[in-house]
Amino acid sequence: MMHQPIQKHRPPLRKRLADASEPYLYSAPALILIAAVMLVPLVVGISYAFRDIQLLNPFSGGFVGLDHFRALGQDQAFFGALRNTLWWTGASVFFQFTFGLILALLLDKPFYGRGLVQALVFLPWAVPSFLAGLNWAWLFNPVIGPLPHWFVALGLMDEPHNILSDPHLAMWGPIVANVWWGIPFFAITLLAALQAIPRDLYEAASIDGAGPVQRFLSITLPFLAPTIAITVLLRTVWISNFADLIVVMTNGGPADRTQIVASYIFTQAFRRLDFGYASAIALVLLALLLVYSMLIVLLRQTMLNKG
Amino acid sequence: MASIDIESVRKSYGPFPVLHGVDLTIRDGEFIVLVGPSGCGKSTLLRMIAGLEEVTSGDIRISGNRVNDLAPKDRDIAMVFQSYALYPHMSVADNMSYSLRLRKTAKEKIASAVGGAAAKLGLEPLLERRPKALSGGQRQRVAMGRAIVRKPKAFLFDEPLSNLDARLREQMRAEIKKLHADLKATSIYVTHDQIEAMTLADRIVAMHGGVVQQVGSPLELYDTPANLFVAGFIGSPGMNFLEGRYVVPGEGKGAGIRLSDGTVVPVASRTGIGPDATVTLGIRPEHVVISDTGMLEASVDLVEPTGFGIILHLSLHGLPFKIFTLDREALSAGPTVRVDFPQKYLHVFDDKGDRVG
Repeated sequence: MMHQPIQKHRPPLRKRLADASEPYLYSAPALILIAAVMLVPLVVGISYAFRDIQLLNPFSGGFVGLDHFRALGQDQAFFGALRNTLWWTGASVFFQFTFGLILALLLDKPFYGRGLVQALVFLPWAVPSFLAGLNWAWLFNPVIGPLPHWFVALGLMDEPHNILSDPHLAMWGPIVANVWWGIPFFAITLLAALQAIPRDLYEAASIDGAGPVQRFLSITLPFLAPTIAITVLLRTVWISNFADLIVVMTNGGPADRTQIVASYIFTQAFRRLDFGYASAIALVLLALLLVYSMLIVLLRQTMLNKG
Repeated sequence: MASIDIESVRKSYGPFPVLHGVDLTIRDGEFIVLVGPSGCGKSTLLRMIAGLEEVTSGDIRISGNRVNDLAPKDRDIAMVFQSYALYPHMSVADNMSYSLRLRKTAKEKIASAVGGAAAKLGLEPLLERRPKALSGGQRQRVAMGRAIVRKPKAFLFDEPLSNLDARLREQMRAEIKKLHADLKATSIYVTHDQIEAMTLADRIVAMHGGVVQQVGSPLELYDTPANLFVAGFIGSPGMNFLEGRYVVPGEGKGAGIRLSDGTVVPVASRTGIGPDATVTLGIRPEHVVISDTGMLEASVDLVEPTGFGIILHLSLHGLPFKIFTLDREALSAGPTVRVDFPQKYLHVFDDKGDRVG
């Protein structure tokens, strides 16, 4: 008791300031780095959406408010791209997931040389997307590629022509390339999830009288559900932003039939050099994807709470 | 309920044999325990009966019907796994009723079967929970409940208590025994724990290296082990073994076994071994008598009080040797003790390890 009063004095202001700022100073380098790398470009990019930025016009750069968004509301090419994006993303994710799941289920069964096959399956993922696009564009080209001739032989086509130049079929070209390219992602992630399922659950179920379909429905699917939800979410966002294959294979054509929002942004920014308008479109895409992600996250939460 | 016949059943994985021809007849309602160290083939045999492993050769019959080529679900057996293998996405009630729902049993029947099993196992308050919200012992009970709702011909248990702590294991052991007395269903139980084997079994099947070593009641295996493996495996602390040579009776002296130091331990006369044959003498730690006039002297290495009794770790002729006694005086045993081996508790094994006499 005798010694305590001395300690009760408040420490000097400098000491208190130093103490209070200590945690901020320690974390400052990391925070500043993150802000510089992530936030600054984001904010600058968003600011473009409200400014008139045209690379070839030295007098541009002024604030235009919501003008870009008003123009966007009237832009039929944008709405066409939005529809194409839905089509492109939906079909790509659906087929990538379906084939990826089938492949994962096949690779989950032990067979001779499984290790090698598992490694090979991953290969398409390692191919640069531009190379994959060029490759598929050539495969579809009747002059050098075999595919149109095979289609004719199968009776799917009257004469060998390039589906990439057919307005009704063009979208299938990049979709096929994208499916080929993206199957490994689903196959590998789903395979990892499959292999985490305890084997004795299947044994218990087979003794309980469950056939292959019932085992799949009551064991495999519930175990895979969280992985399915998160991978489908990720792939959907990636694919709707993924313009490489389209730019390489069709460049949005013929007649904007394969133009998706991401490739439309690319066209606006790097061909018309209208960065302001491109940023406005990007902002709309960002908002749509955020809404979609929130929906999936909510869905996953309710699923996990139930499970 | 059913009898199970296993006829010269073999199993190999590729060129590697795991089971070398097992013959076993399990009677209706019998509780059989397969016991042995890990890798002895006991689990493989159980999984073959369940239909989870293919039979390489030989026949398995349930109620006289050959089941080798039947799928597990068509064998009408239930299995309790070491990991319990409960379906994590289903409630306790759904776990228990899964097999009945797959068989499209009527709803009322399912409800009464699940209710009955839950009452027997004390699971009623837990029926709506998921497995992850249960303790180890409760999960174990659900796994048993899942097996009994179906009223199968036979129960198969694959080390069901290995994941529980010692106290819970003891409790569940008693419950399994009560359950069997109640249901009287043919049961095959795999364990490496000889206490479980001794306490639960009507008959024990001791296995080693893919070969059945001995089949018999727990006390048969304990009192007259067929070979060195069974003698050493059953009982804790394990049986003591001493090398020696057989001395045939004659010149007014009885038969005996001459140990390395020349001491002759008298044994009952045995047939089937020649004079001077190499033998192994076995005696259980609890049968060794400490006596000031004992014929052998051993040095005391370690005294282990277990509370229930005392284990003395000795060196006899330089080899480890154990005594178990209830006598607290053993706690103050000096640097050496003298011991005697009562004749009626001595086991003699020949040079191939088989019991003699």
